[in-house]
Amino acid sequence: VKTTAHESRLLVISDIHMGNRLHRTREEFTEFVHFALEHRYSICINGDGIDLAQLSLAHLVSDITPSLGLFLKFGENDLRIYYTVGNHDIALEHFLTDVGRMMVVPFLSVTSGDKRIRIEHGHMYDDMFLRFPRIYFVFTLIGRFAIAISPGFYDALHRFNSAFVAFSEWALSGFGLMKKKKKKKDETEEREDRIVGERECFRAGADASGSRGFDAVLFGHTHFQGTGTLMDGVKYYNTGAWFGDPHCVAIHDGQIWFGSVADLVRNGDPFPQSTSDVVRAITGVYPVQQSTEHRFTLTDQFAATPQ
Amino acid sequence: MKITRQHETQDFVDGQIVFREGESSSEMFVVRTGKVEITKTVGGHAMRLALLDRGAFFGEMSLLEGLPRSATARAVGKVSLLVLRPGSLLLQIRRDPTFAFELLQQLSGRIRELNDKLVIKTSTAEFGNRLARSAFLTDAAAEFNAPAASPERPVAP
Repeated sequence: VKTTAHESRLLVISDIHMGNRLHRTREEFTEFVHFALEHRYSICINGDGIDLAQLSLAHLVSDITPSLGLFLKFGENDLRIYYTVGNHDIALEHFLTDVGRMMVVPFLSVTSGDKRIRIEHGHMYDDMFLRFPRIYFVFTLIGRFAIAISPGFYDALHRFNSAFVAFSEWALSGFGLMKKKKKKKDETEEREDRIVGERECFRAGADASGSRGFDAVLFGHTHFQGTGTLMDGVKYYNTGAWFGDPHCVAIHDGQIWFGSVADLVRNGDPFPQSTSDVVRAITGVYPVQQSTEHRFTLTDQFAATPQ
Repeated sequence: MKITRQHETQDFVDGQIVFREGESSSEMFVVRTGKVEITKTVGGHAMRLALLDRGAFFGEMSLLEGLPRSATARAVGKVSLLVLRPGSLLLQIRRDPTFAFELLQQLSGRIRELNDKLVIKTSTAEFGNRLARSAFLTDAAAEFNAPAASPERPVAP
């Protein structure tokens, strides 16, 4: 299983839940894939791309068919598709290998420019998923009906669920008496940097993972999008889910952009490429043109000296 | 040395020794920034085994087996290392399950590399032996002046 990759340009999304009976992502996802292809980005679906836990095969086929043809074009353009396994598609661990142009991985360590970026779904840090799998399953079922009512209702329920879990953790820790008292200033700073609704265990997981020489850690799973800074300045991003306002991370030679998919598609590429960049990406060589003096000149901006 | 809420780190300057061959320390390290050179003394000379980049593990042999260090680790440039002590290894695996996966992955990679090197070394040695054997036979044949085994005949590999 290869879990490392070098990518100059990569778009990361998570939790599309394709094939979910009650939530459809056909149009938005197809548009997103079109965008990636058009602007020469490889893509990484960071877990729960296919909702095997709540699957309707008819919906899955209908949702994914328009994108399948586009997936083939990624190969033709020397772009890749990475798929990190999540808790709703955990069965895909059987396919931990390259499936054509798609690499199915448990997690991914990407080198882009001089930056190392860790991409994981994040469910391995979810203490509820690991310690109380049955309760987790019940909440998944409740969530399924909530989506049927409306995405807003699902969000509200999700927040209630997180609050309930936080309360349980607080109660189990002896109503906070077991925890050390922190300085007020530290608490305020920490709160500002925290993703609203996200439980502590994910941040701790990102901290542990990021401490191993990464510049940024990308999670999904929680369905709460946002960013924060971990210990030692490691950046943390959560790309949320496609139930409400889907978010994504765009990576270009180590630079990272975070925002909503709708903004990305509407406003255009945050890291636009010049024609020579595109030629170089495809051919691997600097494009040359004939000057008036019948000499060849490198047109690339980094090598503009006439020969 | 810096101990944060969850992990312990150590910083080194260029050329500083992290541990020496034969030492009995038992920590394991993960490279957070910079590079680390691993060398082993062979016949009085230091032989470079590896140059480790960010994210690479080293020192795991002493931690897992409790034996003295089998090589020397030296910082190349400014280096920051994540330190894992025997008591915190299981906790680290519990906290960060992918850590165990990556550790196994790197160990497996190193075994594969060693196997490849062993195959090359064995086949080179075998080829050398064969060559020596055929040279010996050729010389012996020439000595006995046997025209059928003349040194001008091509030697079978």
